[in-house]
Amino acid sequence: MGENNAAIVVEDLHKSFGAIEVLKGISLTANEHDVISILGSSGSGKSTFLRCINLLEIPTSGRVYVHGELIKMVAKRGEMQPADQPQVDRIRSKLSMVFQQFNLWAHMTVLQNVIEAPIHVLKVPKREAIERAEAVLQRVGLLDHKDYYPAHLSGGQQQRAAIARALAMEPELMLFDEPTSALDPELVNEVLRVIRGLAEEGRTMLVVTHEMGFAREVSDKVLFLHQGLVEEQGPPDQVFNNPTSERFRQFLAGDLK
Amino acid sequence: MDFDAIISNLPLYLKGLWVTLQLVIMALAAGFVLAVPVALAAASRNLLVAIIPKAFIYFFRGTPLLVQMFMIYHGFAQFDALRESFLWLVFREAYWCALIAFSLNTAAYTAEILRGAIEQTSFGEVEAAKACGMSKPTIYRRIVLPSSFRRALPAYGNEVIFMLHGSALAGVITIVDLFGAAKIVNSRHFVPFESFITAGVFYLCVTFFLVWLFKRLEHHWNAYLRPRETIAVPTIAATAAD
Repeated sequence: MGENNAAIVVEDLHKSFGAIEVLKGISLTANEHDVISILGSSGSGKSTFLRCINLLEIPTSGRVYVHGELIKMVAKRGEMQPADQPQVDRIRSKLSMVFQQFNLWAHMTVLQNVIEAPIHVLKVPKREAIERAEAVLQRVGLLDHKDYYPAHLSGGQQQRAAIARALAMEPELMLFDEPTSALDPELVNEVLRVIRGLAEEGRTMLVVTHEMGFAREVSDKVLFLHQGLVEEQGPPDQVFNNPTSERFRQFLAGDLK
Repeated sequence: MDFDAIISNLPLYLKGLWVTLQLVIMALAAGFVLAVPVALAAASRNLLVAIIPKAFIYFFRGTPLLVQMFMIYHGFAQFDALRESFLWLVFREAYWCALIAFSLNTAAYTAEILRGAIEQTSFGEVEAAKACGMSKPTIYRRIVLPSSFRRALPAYGNEVIFMLHGSALAGVITIVDLFGAAKIVNSRHFVPFESFITAGVFYLCVTFFLVWLFKRLEHHWNAYLRPRETIAVPTIAATAAD
């Protein structure tokens, strides 16, 4: 598998936590430059799905291809595990993730957060890493805050710093896990504006979000998960204007009322 | 009060102070180096890995330092096999026995402080490191340990002061440290109050320095934990009223 030049191909992904099956067979193909929004009510498995792609959660079964390369898994004592941890680390370095809770390294300044992984994972020389970091911090509007510690920034600034940290890896694909859900309403827009800018420059992104306006305007494709299955998918015009699934209609009604 | 005997014995006190500082600095250094792997292993979720370090910590925290030192200095000498081996070169000397006891004791306390700090590491920060593609050793070296050392710093400052004071036990087994010097001055001149208060003043001075040192270290390394107003960041300094 791993047909043509797809950035990500996920095939029949299942994930159980104990006896509870959270993902019941999800497939997805993201081509280069695709922006895919993943929607769903809480408990639908959308975050778990995203976290299975970079193996922060280990799928119970299914296959993930990144640029045609299969992430190798083996069964150990009846549980799936990565067969080749260096492969996982290498693939993760190409897939940057932005978290709901930012997860900045608290003891490092913004600049130190941004240069950390380029230096210690990609082995970029420090001077070059700093130049790169300053460019991405400029981009997210935080260059003048580069010497601040995360705790001294607002939530919106912290999330923009986290996006800068992700960008500094020059990732092939960005995973956003509810990037605005932990923010005060008035801070949501500054973060969405940055993500929208990234989408417009043609980055490949998977975005788990509750922001319907964002999903509708920015994505090339929308995926609606319900109880661990893809309930509705397609281009935003189609799914928002003519949803075929009753569940998605209810979801939209609840959200848009 | 008769401080003449003290003044004439100041060189002895200074020699004692030097021995105390040697013992404390070497014990802290050795203890810290030992404490890091012990703490990492004790923080492991694998019980097989954690059990021995946990037992080590439990033993050395669970028994008095004096008992540990007597075990090593007096107790081990009872075994012929030890006395006949090259190890006797070390274990016959009170100085090395005290140093070994102090090192192991502070290693256990330091490991326990570090273990707690390691286990408190933010799960999200570790996930962020994983998501960047950091290998497990890199995550420990760059994220878990640096942030744990910072969290452990205030408690470790306390341990360093305990070690300084605990080191007075060296004077019990013939070592002429600060306390040993005070004992000698007392036995020569029979001025118990003056001789011991003088040692106390020296301990106070060293403690004062340690308190100052750890305050500086915390100020520098734990700036991220303080409110923003108290930190000089260039952009804030530029607009600050004072």
